[in-house]
Amino acid sequence: MRLTEDDLYRTSTQYKHWSFTPSQLAAQRRTTNIQASERVKAAVARQRAQRSLLDASASESERAGSGVENGGDTPVRVDKEVNCLTVTEEKRLVDVFCARALDLGKFLKFPTEVTATGIQFLRRFYLFNSPMTYEPQTISPCAMFVANKVENHGLPLERYVAVLPNMTTDKVLAPEYLLVQGLRFNFQVRHPFNGLKGGHLEMIEMARGNANLLPNAEKTKEQLQQEMLQLPRKPNGPAQSLSVAQLEKRIENAYGFASIVLKGPAQLTDAYFLYTPSQIWFTAHLLADEPLTLFYLSAKVPTSPIHSKIISTLRSCADLLSSHSSYTTDQISKEEKVAREKKEKEEVSALIKKAKHCRDPDKIDLVKLNLAQKRDAVAGGSLEESKAKRRKLEREGYQKESDDFWGPELKKANGAKVA
Amino acid sequence: MATKVSSSPAFSSPALSPRPNPPGPSGRAVPKAKALAILNATKSPAPSVASTPGDGGMDLSEKMNDEVRRQFVIGGRLGEGTYATVYAGHYRHDPTSLVAIKKIKVNADFKDGIAMDAIREIKFLSELHHPNIISLHAVFSTKDQNLSLVLEHLPAGDLEGLWKNGSISYTSADIKAWSNMLAQAVWFCHENFVLHRDIKGNNVLIAADGTLKLADFGLARSFAEPGRPMTHQVITRFYRPLELLYGARHYGGCVDIWSMGIVIAELVIREFFLPSETDIQQVHMITEIFGTPTEETWPGVSMLPNYLPIGPSGFKHPLGTSYFMQRFPLLGADGVELLRGMLTVDPAKRFTANEVLRHSYWTNAPTPTKKEMLPKAGGGLKAMGEDLKRRGGEADTGRVDKVARKLDFASMVQ
Repeated sequence: MRLTEDDLYRTSTQYKHWSFTPSQLAAQRRTTNIQASERVKAAVARQRAQRSLLDASASESERAGSGVENGGDTPVRVDKEVNCLTVTEEKRLVDVFCARALDLGKFLKFPTEVTATGIQFLRRFYLFNSPMTYEPQTISPCAMFVANKVENHGLPLERYVAVLPNMTTDKVLAPEYLLVQGLRFNFQVRHPFNGLKGGHLEMIEMARGNANLLPNAEKTKEQLQQEMLQLPRKPNGPAQSLSVAQLEKRIENAYGFASIVLKGPAQLTDAYFLYTPSQIWFTAHLLADEPLTLFYLSAKVPTSPIHSKIISTLRSCADLLSSHSSYTTDQISKEEKVAREKKEKEEVSALIKKAKHCRDPDKIDLVKLNLAQKRDAVAGGSLEESKAKRRKLEREGYQKESDDFWGPELKKANGAKVA
Repeated sequence: MATKVSSSPAFSSPALSPRPNPPGPSGRAVPKAKALAILNATKSPAPSVASTPGDGGMDLSEKMNDEVRRQFVIGGRLGEGTYATVYAGHYRHDPTSLVAIKKIKVNADFKDGIAMDAIREIKFLSELHHPNIISLHAVFSTKDQNLSLVLEHLPAGDLEGLWKNGSISYTSADIKAWSNMLAQAVWFCHENFVLHRDIKGNNVLIAADGTLKLADFGLARSFAEPGRPMTHQVITRFYRPLELLYGARHYGGCVDIWSMGIVIAELVIREFFLPSETDIQQVHMITEIFGTPTEETWPGVSMLPNYLPIGPSGFKHPLGTSYFMQRFPLLGADGVELLRGMLTVDPAKRFTANEVLRHSYWTNAPTPTKKEMLPKAGGGLKAMGEDLKRRGGEADTGRVDKVARKLDFASMVQ
C-alpha cells in the first residue's frame, strides 16, 4: 500500500485553499483592496459627517490635514478624500510585518516552523483582509501566538505577553477569532524544511555510493557516485575531481545555504502561494548549488517532459526567491547593501505613516470590538438562551444589590458572602 | 514532487463589490443578497448602506464564514459534555444529508484563547481524508465566538458499545473486518505523520453502512522532529503503552499501535483487557501478562524516567502463546501472532502500521465480513452525541475515574 506525496499534498488545505496562479493571487489582492478602500472611505466620511454636526471647526482642520485623492465616488461627499493604500503598498506593508515577525520569532527563540507558520498565517490572513482594515501591528502578535499553539510549541500566553513590550493578553487574543476565520480554519501549513532535510540526507548517501536507485535505473550506485564527484562547481564549469569527504562538505554547504533561503526569502515572498513545498526546497537548493541539484533531480526523475517542466518551474521560483532583498549573494557589495537598507527603511516608515492615515476607524480598537461582538451576540439572541438568561439574572441581581440602601454585599476572598 | 496545477480557488466571492450585504432580518436570503451585491457592483454604490451606523460591513472572510454556516440547519441537541455540545443537523439544500454539529465550548479554565483540543481536531481532520476517518465537512464560527465543527453523521454507535451490547453476537470474520478498518485508519494517520494519541473503543464510531471511523483528534499531533520532546500524558490509561507510563518523551506511531492492539483485544474478549484504577496499577496489569521489561528484552528501558525495575508483586515472566490462544480463540493462530506484534512492550520491536497491514492474518481464512453484512446495534443519534462531546482522555465507564489527563498547555512541553 503506497500513497505518493503528490496524492497526499493534493488533499491538503494548503493545496485546495491557499495555492494560486500569479493572476489569481493578483485578482484576490485587488478585490480585498477595493473592498477595504471603499469601506475606509465610507467609514471616514461617516465619522466626518457626524463630527461636523457636532463641531464645525474640528471638521475643518481635519479636512486640511488629509491627503490628496485621485477621484472616485463616495457615498458622502467631502472635499478631501482619504488617500488609501494601493495593492502594491498593502503587500509591501504585509511584507514588512512578515519580516518583523521573523525577527520576533528569533527573539522568542521559536523553532523555525513555528515562526514560519506564523508568517504564513499573516500572509494568508492579508489575502482576504486589508492592512487598512486590520493593522498588522495588532494581528501579528496574535498570528504568532496561534502558530505557537498550532505547532505545539506550548509557550503560555502569560509568558508570551511578558516578553513583548506594551502587550496584554487581551490584545493578543482579541483578534483570534477574526484571524482563524480569515484563515478559513485551516491550521496546517506545509513547510519545505523537512523535504530539504530528506533530500540532503539522500544526497549524502548518494555521495557515499549508497544511492537509492529508481526501478530500471540506467546507472549503478557507483556510477552515480563517480559522476557526482566530478560535478562542476558552476553550471558549464570544468569538471572537478573531489574526494568523498570534499563532496560531502559541498553537500553540507549547499544545505546550509538552502536552509537560509527557506527561512528568509521563502517566507517573505509569495513562494508558498505559488509553489509547492517540494518545489520551494528544490529551488533553494538550486540557488545554493545548481550542478549538484540538477544532478540529483535527474537521478530521481528520468528525462521526460515532466523533467523539463519541473526545471522551468524551479527557475521561475528561483527568480522569485532571489529577487527578495534578504537574498544576499556575493554579487552585492557591502556599500550597496547598506544603501539599500537605508532606502528601504525610509520607504517603510513613509508607508507606515501613510497607512496610519487610512485606517478603518471602525476596526482600530480590536479589544473593544471583540467585547462588543460578544455583547451583540447576546442582543441578537445567538448566545444560547440559557446562558443569556443566566447573565441577565446575574445582571439584575447586581443591579438590585447595588440599589440596596447599603450598596451591594461585600465579598470575602473565597467568594462567600458575608453573613 | 508535486506539480502545481492551476486550480481555481474554492471560494467564489460574490463580488468585487465593496457593498456589504444589508444587515437585518433579510440576512438569510442568500441568493437575493448575492444578486444585489453583484448588481451594486456594476452601478455606483448606494449611499444608504455605508451610512448605517455601527455596521462596519462584512469582511470577505466573514462573508465566507457566513456562507458556510448557512449551508447547514442545526437541529436538536444530542449531547453535552465539558468540551463540546453536539447537535443534529443537515445540509440546507438537502434535508436527507445528515451531519453532526459539534459546538466547542469556551473553556473558562484555559486562558490562552481557542482551546488546544479544538485547534488540534480542526487542524488534523481538515487534512485527513480517508473512508475510515471521520470526515469534517466544514468549520464555522458564530457571532458569540464559538467554533462549530460539522462532522459526518455516524449513527450506529461505537466499538466499545458494540462489544458491550449483549444482544449482538459476532464472529471471527466480523472481528477481522472491524480490525482491518481500524488498522487502515491508523496507517493513514501515520502515513500523514499524524499521531492520534487517544485510540480507544469509544473513539471508533460506526457509520450507518457499518464502516468504522476513527474520531476525536483532540489529542493528535504531528510526528515530532527527532530529538524534540513530547508529553507522555496522553492516551486513555487502559490503552496507554508501557513506554508512556514510564514517562517516555520521544515516541512515534508505535503508541497508537499498542492502543489499537488493546481495542482489538477488547473486541475479542468483550470486556476491558487491561483495566486499572491508577497508572501504577496499569503498569502492573501490563507486566503481569507481558512480563517485567529488562535491558535484555527492551534495550534502553531503564533510562526512562519512571521506569520501575520490579513491580509491586516482583519480577514477572511474560506469558506464552498458549495464554493468548486461550484468551483470544476467535483470532486464530495468525491473529494472535498479529495481536502480539501490536502488543509488544518494546516499542522498537512493535509492529508498525505498515507491518500490521501486511500481516497474513488479513488474507488468511476466514475472509473478513463485508461491511454491509456486519452486525450493528444502531446506537442512534444520542450515542454519537455522547461520543463526540467527550474530551480526549476521558473514559466514561463505570469502572474508571474520569482520567485526569493533564494536558496543561501552560506547564508542559507538548
